[in-house]
Amino acid sequence: MREITYLEAVREALSQEMRQNEDVYMLGEDIGVYGGAFGVSRGMIEEFGPERIRNTPISEAAISGAAIGSALTGMRPILELQFSDFITIAMDNLANQAAKIRYMYGGKGTIPIVVRTPSGSGTGAAAQHSQSLEAWVAHIPGLKVVQPSSASDAKGLLKAAMDDDNPVIFYEHKLLYKTSEDVPEEQYSIPLGKADIKREGTDATIVATGVMVHRALEAAGKLAEKGIEAEVVDPRTLVPFDVETVVESVKKTGRLLVVHEAVKFGGIGGEITSIVAESEAFDYLDHPIRRLGAAFVPVPYNPTLEKAAIPSVEEIIANVGEMVNYQSEEE
Amino acid sequence: MANEIFMPKLSSTMAEGTVIEWFKEEGDTVEVGEPILEIMTDKINIEVESYNDGILLKKYFETDDVVPVNHVIGFIGEAGESVPDEAPGESSGADSDNGPEEAPSQSEQPEGHAKDSESKSELSGKRESMIGKVRATPAARAHARTNDVDIKQITGSGRNGRIHKADVVNHLSAQSKTPAKQAESVDAPVTEVTASQAATVQTEKLRGSRKVTADRMADSSATIPHVTLNFEVEMEPLIELRKDLNEKYKDVKVSFNDLFILIASKALVLHPDVNITFKDNEISYHEERNISLAVAVEKELFVPVVKNTEKMGLFGISKESRRLIEDTRSRKLSQEDMTGGTFTISNLGMYSITSFTPIINKPQAAILGIGATTEQPTLRDGVLHNRKIATLSLSFDHRVINGAPAAAFCDTVKKLTENPIELIL
Repeated sequence: MREITYLEAVREALSQEMRQNEDVYMLGEDIGVYGGAFGVSRGMIEEFGPERIRNTPISEAAISGAAIGSALTGMRPILELQFSDFITIAMDNLANQAAKIRYMYGGKGTIPIVVRTPSGSGTGAAAQHSQSLEAWVAHIPGLKVVQPSSASDAKGLLKAAMDDDNPVIFYEHKLLYKTSEDVPEEQYSIPLGKADIKREGTDATIVATGVMVHRALEAAGKLAEKGIEAEVVDPRTLVPFDVETVVESVKKTGRLLVVHEAVKFGGIGGEITSIVAESEAFDYLDHPIRRLGAAFVPVPYNPTLEKAAIPSVEEIIANVGEMVNYQSEEE
Repeated sequence: MANEIFMPKLSSTMAEGTVIEWFKEEGDTVEVGEPILEIMTDKINIEVESYNDGILLKKYFETDDVVPVNHVIGFIGEAGESVPDEAPGESSGADSDNGPEEAPSQSEQPEGHAKDSESKSELSGKRESMIGKVRATPAARAHARTNDVDIKQITGSGRNGRIHKADVVNHLSAQSKTPAKQAESVDAPVTEVTASQAATVQTEKLRGSRKVTADRMADSSATIPHVTLNFEVEMEPLIELRKDLNEKYKDVKVSFNDLFILIASKALVLHPDVNITFKDNEISYHEERNISLAVAVEKELFVPVVKNTEKMGLFGISKESRRLIEDTRSRKLSQEDMTGGTFTISNLGMYSITSFTPIINKPQAAILGIGATTEQPTLRDGVLHNRKIATLSLSFDHRVINGAPAAAFCDTVKKLTENPIELIL
């Protein structure tokens, strides 16, 4: 094992799969010589050639349409959308075609595509290039939704996504591309629908997604200095969702804080908290559930406002602290 | 527009009142100043008078109903005016009362400060008690359910009195201590007893002054480190003195209580460190010797205060204590009569009690218990005498009074009792 970045882990997962499965190919804007908007596919066109690393016109509708068509013929395409904000243009193909065809044709056809797309704020890319729209796609039956938060998760989850016969939306986070950790060299698969407990704790459960996993872990570290042991659960995939791991964690801790970067109103946090409230964990809740999400505004361009709009480590610490030491709330 | 009759807030600590009796029926005409109903607070009974002329349109509560302060009890208005079918809860005027900044009539509201300190959360807590529901987390409820505890019996430590699991756990562990002791002394299995007695057991919910007494006793007993010193006093001189006085001044009739109030007052002058109250980590030393006297009326306990005893003679004390005891029995004690005490006397001398451990009357720091006088063989100068002896018991708060000063106070009480002539010094 060696330490590589999240970006390199994604590239390695793609390359290893393409070496052994000729049906897998990539298509997207400037993914060839340029290496894609964030450089994920850099060097791949040299190894796999322009037939399998295909540059496309600047049209997400065309990319998604072509991918779905080729998937129907038996290929296993991987689309790169430069920014996940542009998924809006691919949405008809994804929601009305990719998600539906397998069901409408009684399983006679499948759409084994992976839509790789970077999401999230924090890069100063402003309102149209910084969104976290995962709750949109999670709402559509037939699409699977993955949000890896670390390099090793990214490699294993991408392998599982490529092996899956259903369309998978694979959210990579811009701020995570440069994070690194030990990643196994060989191919491996992390099953979709299996959450990971990133840190064990007994006093409160923090369910965090994407880059918020790292904020939650930092908060948990600081909370531990105050004697509060927070458990950090990363669902890793929103669809399918690992109900059991989250419910068992809340049963253990009695407190739940959900943190995501997406806008809080209508965000996936509402779904996660509802799942817990409806589950057997209800009788173990010893404090009202809380959520942290972005302010209900387009992501601001001003860097100070951009930062202020999404949950911070301090907010996570404050909320967990209040939930655990509830007696002091009245102060 | 019909006018509200609401539960008045008569003291800063009053949270609810009990309806004792209605003097008017729905449909009756009422005039300004006319009593409409009688209520009982935690301390006193009082008549609620009408602020308006009109007809009593609606009564939302019956005798024995407990109503949070500022909640509407009924309506007065003109015949045929429509009023809500259900009790509308808090008086519409209550909010403006609570917001002094917005209330220009604040100067007319002497309790403005007390209300000021009422937090929003307290109000919200009242709303909960109004709808008869308990604020508790699911975990607390589940824990109470599995352990067969009535969640209503538990005090919540969370926001707005929310009951958390820890509160249930604490309640259970507090409970398990007391029944465990009882179980040792009960031979028959507890379950059999409860099953067979169920039909013959009567229950009574604590209300009004009894609830207040219960809460205060529990609070005092739980939070104050009590130490009780017992000491014997020879009673002949005091008995003789009382006999003489009552023969000479037939219209006064001095009681032992009066004498002990005088003795305590004098002793407190000599021991100002005992004449204190202790609150919020702060000791207050009082110039006034205000002696509270425990008075039992049927099942209830009141502690009216004989004030400024340091300025009174024995007859003055006697007159004032008689007035207070009579007012207590006829339930006419005012709020004023029951506050401001700096030391308490509890006399059980009329029963066959040799000594007992009185519970301190918070925020005071000491209480003197008086036991019965009995004949005892006593050695004096090597000669056996037959003496009339009473045992006195001083409970004191060891956080603010240490053993030696408390013992010195007891010595002074003993000396004054046995040499009452010193009372004139």
